[in-house]
Amino acid sequence: MNANSNSLAVRGFPSDLRAFWAVVRREWTVFVRYPSWIVSLLIWPVIFPMGYILTARALSGVDGSGLATFKTSTGLTEYVGYIAVGTMIWMWQNIVLWAVGYSLRNEQLRGTLESNWLSPTWRFSYLLGSSVPQMVSMLLLLAISGLEYVLLFGVKFNGSLWLTLLVILAAIPSVYGLGFAFASVVITVKEANAFVFLVRGIVMIFCGITYPLMLLPGWMQSVAQWLPQTYVIHAMRSAALSTEGFTGISHDLLMMTVFGIFWLAVGYILFVIMERRARQTGAIGQY
Amino acid sequence: MSEFAVEASQLVKKFPARPGTGDKSEKTEGMPIPRRKPWQLFGKKEPQATFTAVDGVDIQIKRGEIFGLLGPNGAGKSTTIRMLCTLLEPTSGTARVNGFDIVKQANEVRRSLGTVLAGERSIYWKLSGRENLEYFAALYHIPAPVAKKRVEELIERMEIKDRANELVEKYSTGMRQRIAIAKALLARPPILLLDEPTLGLDPQAARNLRELIAQLKSEGHTILLTTHYMEEADQLSDRIGIIDTGKVIALDTPANLKAQIDQQEIIKLEVTGWQEYIGEKLRSISEVKSLMARQQGEADLWEVNLQSNNSRAVLPKIVEHIGQNGTRLVNMNIVKPSLEDVFIQLTGKALRD
Repeated sequence: MNANSNSLAVRGFPSDLRAFWAVVRREWTVFVRYPSWIVSLLIWPVIFPMGYILTARALSGVDGSGLATFKTSTGLTEYVGYIAVGTMIWMWQNIVLWAVGYSLRNEQLRGTLESNWLSPTWRFSYLLGSSVPQMVSMLLLLAISGLEYVLLFGVKFNGSLWLTLLVILAAIPSVYGLGFAFASVVITVKEANAFVFLVRGIVMIFCGITYPLMLLPGWMQSVAQWLPQTYVIHAMRSAALSTEGFTGISHDLLMMTVFGIFWLAVGYILFVIMERRARQTGAIGQY
Repeated sequence: MSEFAVEASQLVKKFPARPGTGDKSEKTEGMPIPRRKPWQLFGKKEPQATFTAVDGVDIQIKRGEIFGLLGPNGAGKSTTIRMLCTLLEPTSGTARVNGFDIVKQANEVRRSLGTVLAGERSIYWKLSGRENLEYFAALYHIPAPVAKKRVEELIERMEIKDRANELVEKYSTGMRQRIAIAKALLARPPILLLDEPTLGLDPQAARNLRELIAQLKSEGHTILLTTHYMEEADQLSDRIGIIDTGKVIALDTPANLKAQIDQQEIIKLEVTGWQEYIGEKLRSISEVKSLMARQQGEADLWEVNLQSNNSRAVLPKIVEHIGQNGTRLVNMNIVKPSLEDVFIQLTGKALRD
């Protein structure tokens, strides 16, 4: 047998696609073999908004007399749903920052990043591929959260399921683009805890996860306009809780698309820069 | 097609040095921009000290040969391999693998190579052996039906058929290493880069692996093997490059390398109560060419190797010096020079220092 002319590899787009699908399957298989994810999927969506909901209940009065003020500022009386949707989006972005943001770093720590990098597969497909199972688990988290809010808190989602799904779809590029940007930086700088805490803190304060933006001072409202999560939260509330229909979310969808393109581009460009830098400094093989 | 599978010319790799280390004389030429503090962004850049891991390596590996890169830890073996397999960009110099430039044609280089780096850590412990191989087969662009057959073939060859569906985390180190090697062989690449493939294996597993490497050569693979086990390099390699502090300091067949000091004999002593001043006295004996002393484990037992071209004349003097102040000679042998003795002769230090 002559090893020089015997390669089994076949080039072409189908091969690249199959490599991408292999990354997706691998990530999913490894993910489900750590059973603790089921616990966090069921319990975290209930625990996290509970504090906000109880605070809101206390402030609205036992008889709910304070809700009139809430309705004036938000147009809604479903304050539990209002808080639940805001916290759900915050949780989504937070988990993406940790899970997608640290996906390549975790490979680096396991020692498998180098063996993936040694293959002729397009390197960005490792990041894209490992995000797909994360996306599926997040859709599952959003669905379970919604169900739990209905069953445990009696939330009434009066909006449209299809518009809600449309908002989720439109939110994916900006939410994951930010995750890709983090993942790329983390390959070289090794840790980004401080940045994750900063970003999720900004989202928490500026994007109105539990209160309407009109409560914020003017300059904070201006900052909020530059954060895609502001539009995701607003659109999600309109789609899931109100009966405004498509007109209520059309502007948000446009802004989400613009931010989505921007953040995906930033994520990809940072990946290319950081990958090159890692090859120069040897960071890929460093734990 | 070039007769060489791997050609490296004046390959250099420098890394930014940590504060207080590195070559102060070597500055930033060709280096990535160092990380700077935010308040330093607009100021004048300070030249950064660098550490040279590989310093002008020239090697040419013929097709079908096993080339051993032998050197102690930190000598530059792994950095050289990482540049050849495109994980690292050289600071300067060029290299071609299977005729492809490692920087400009990196993807073609990756298609030509099967690489084993970091051994058991290079595969997924939460996947089975079979799942690992199927996954990497897809990454190496092997069509699904071909991949299925190839994976079965390698599972048979690596003798892991009975446990192929178990998670890798339940495997022994030797089994994990076999999966890592099977992974490198998946696409039948013409060239294999094996970085310390027997590191951490028990003697039997290491012996099996060495047999496998010899078989792979007989199948036509070109193999670049790094190791700091001289016996392994001696046994497997057609040619050996000895590398130290980033430089190839000798390159020849094992026989020719040993012939360099063939006129000499190696006197191996085992001594208790060793004192450094005795070493100085022994070095001052005119017939002693070199001396290397190292402690054996934690006990007060030292192995002392001396090179001499006249052991008969030197032995009485050695015995006289050693039997002083509580130092005691426990054992003594006169042996033929090994590759490690060549290394000691060239560098003045042992391979495992």
